[in-house]
Amino acid sequence: MKTMETVIEVKNLTKKYGDFVAVDHINFTINKGEVFSLLGPNGAGKTTTIGMLSTVKKPTEGDAFILGHSIVKQKYQVRKLIGVSPQDLTADDELTGYENVLIMAKLFGYRGKEAEDRSKWALEFMDLWDSAFKKVREYSGGMRRRLEVAMSIVHNPAVVFLDEPTVGLDVQSRRHIWELIRDLKKNGTTVLLTTHYMEEAEELSDRVAIIDHGKIIAMGTPDELKAKIKGDRIYVTLKGQDHMDEIIRKINDILPNSTNKVDGQILIKTESSSEFLPQLIKILSDYEVIELKVVKPNLEEVFLELTGKGLREDEGGFDRFKYMRITRGARR
Amino acid sequence: MIQEVYTLTIRELKKWLSRRGTFIVSLITPLFWLGLFGKSLNFASMFTPTNLPPQYSSLLSQYVDQQLLNLFGTTNYFTYLASGMLVVFGFFQSVFGGTNLVFEKRLGYLNRLLMTPTPRSGIFLSKVFGTLVRILFYETVLILIAYGLGFKFKPGISALNIILAGIAIILVAIGFVSIFAAIAFNVDNVEIMFAIVNLINLPLMFASSALFPLKQMPSWLQEIAKFNPITYAADIVRHNLIGTPVSNYILSWIILLVISVALFIIGMFVSINAMERS
Ligand SMILES: Nc1ncnc2c1ncn2[C@@H]1O[C@H](COP(=O)(O)OP(=O)(O)OP(=O)(O)O)[C@@H](O)[C@H]1O
Ligand SMILES: [Mg+2]
Repeated sequence: MKTMETVIEVKNLTKKYGDFVAVDHINFTINKGEVFSLLGPNGAGKTTTIGMLSTVKKPTEGDAFILGHSIVKQKYQVRKLIGVSPQDLTADDELTGYENVLIMAKLFGYRGKEAEDRSKWALEFMDLWDSAFKKVREYSGGMRRRLEVAMSIVHNPAVVFLDEPTVGLDVQSRRHIWELIRDLKKNGTTVLLTTHYMEEAEELSDRVAIIDHGKIIAMGTPDELKAKIKGDRIYVTLKGQDHMDEIIRKINDILPNSTNKVDGQILIKTESSSEFLPQLIKILSDYEVIELKVVKPNLEEVFLELTGKGLREDEGGFDRFKYMRITRGARR
Repeated sequence: MIQEVYTLTIRELKKWLSRRGTFIVSLITPLFWLGLFGKSLNFASMFTPTNLPPQYSSLLSQYVDQQLLNLFGTTNYFTYLASGMLVVFGFFQSVFGGTNLVFEKRLGYLNRLLMTPTPRSGIFLSKVFGTLVRILFYETVLILIAYGLGFKFKPGISALNIILAGIAIILVAIGFVSIFAAIAFNVDNVEIMFAIVNLINLPLMFASSALFPLKQMPSWLQEIAKFNPITYAADIVRHNLIGTPVSNYILSWIILLVISVALFIIGMFVSINAMERS
């Protein structure tokens, strides 16, 4: 590990809005060629962190270094090294995809033929060359997201920041983008990704930092993080809540301290679900069970374990405002 | 820096050209004004009763012309108004040029620009240049239409006269696009932005010599109009295009130049400051 080149180094990075601490003394380093994810729920401070790292938000405290350049004191050098794909869509929908990418190439100092070649490369890389000369207004959601990434990689940056690159997309489009992010990594690009989809973090990342209320509460490879919860989880949903405490008591008699109530469900933590299931079924046979779910360790469970709440708890309602921002690209 | 400004200016113009509708819509207002006020307000016939014997009629019309000449410096109010409208139109377009930054901000495009190494001054300047190119184009169209409607250039007008008139309009535009860009950089809300625009636009237009001569105004309004760059630009444009006398031509240029450069510098400074903040 020591021989690896550090690309991003974040030291005590903090952002306050008035008294509200959006990002709270976070620390991490990212090595060359790594895909590093910030995983956290809405409002965790992911976008604020990206904003600071990409020099458009001033940290209240702390600093970060991109290839040794301070995001506070050497903004200009940092801007040349990074490519950012913001959470909100930014491409100009009155222009074509190609024009959008070409503008970025030129803003990063490429000229003439070279700028054109790089734009073509970026669009081909993101599987958009076929639609390159269509107006962005005619793009689908997935295409627009891919265009955002194309715009952020056209100058071959050392680091790419992808802020929720698949938010609001269907599974297929999402997988497509995952594929392309893996290709980016193969290309040697360092990627800092934010997401609130645990599958996304798990699928793509070399390392993950779980962030909540502006603090990093756990960090490591997906396997290391999953090792934090030993064994499997079993969720039982009953018809009615009447016998819940009774059942929980019965299970805890067999597996001490294994079981409690979470969100109206019974949650059982066990080393091995296959060994315990027969006994559990015997207990449950006297009650009306609606659902019984065995969950292998995953990052969602890690988050639940660490914070006592689900990653997407506040996504229950349809957030019309956020939906508008995502689909139309309108900022708050 | 030059490449960045060029790239972003071209972007503005491409967007402008791709929106065919706005081109026509933008010309409707000034044409409407020219038609309504310029063409229909025919003072000479207004003061000439139709049943007068011919010899008196021509005398009266001479008298009216004399009065118009005293008042407007020309016997043709349409020409007077049209030359003023050229300045007002440049002013309006520059205001909208700056204002549309609010949309760019809301659409997140500005945010992306700020994450690139583009110099912040370049982002500001591209806004100014994009607006100026548009204005020059519209002004050319407008003067041709006005000519078609009966605009009377002064006898012996030279290319230099036209260029000087153009420069005066550009100076006004530079000043106002800078100030309104600066305001837009500091306002997030579209409604607030338009409230500010409305608050400033109409008073500035009326408190100037663009539509009526200063000496026709109440004295307090005259005082305000003296600080209005539109007044000086309108005087200069008229002097060059239709030959209206100006009390102090050189001083008008100096005042216009000073106000515009000051607005430009303040606008640029405030804009860059807003981009660096957050
Ligand atoms: N300009 C601002 N002024 C005040 N508070 C802000 C501002 N921007 C963000 N916040 C607050 O800071 C917190 C972190 O916001 P941030 O956008 O970084 O979250 P996030 O992790 O990106 O969430 P999401 O998944 O919804 O994008 C939120 O509580 C948000 O309300
Ligand atoms: Mg976010």
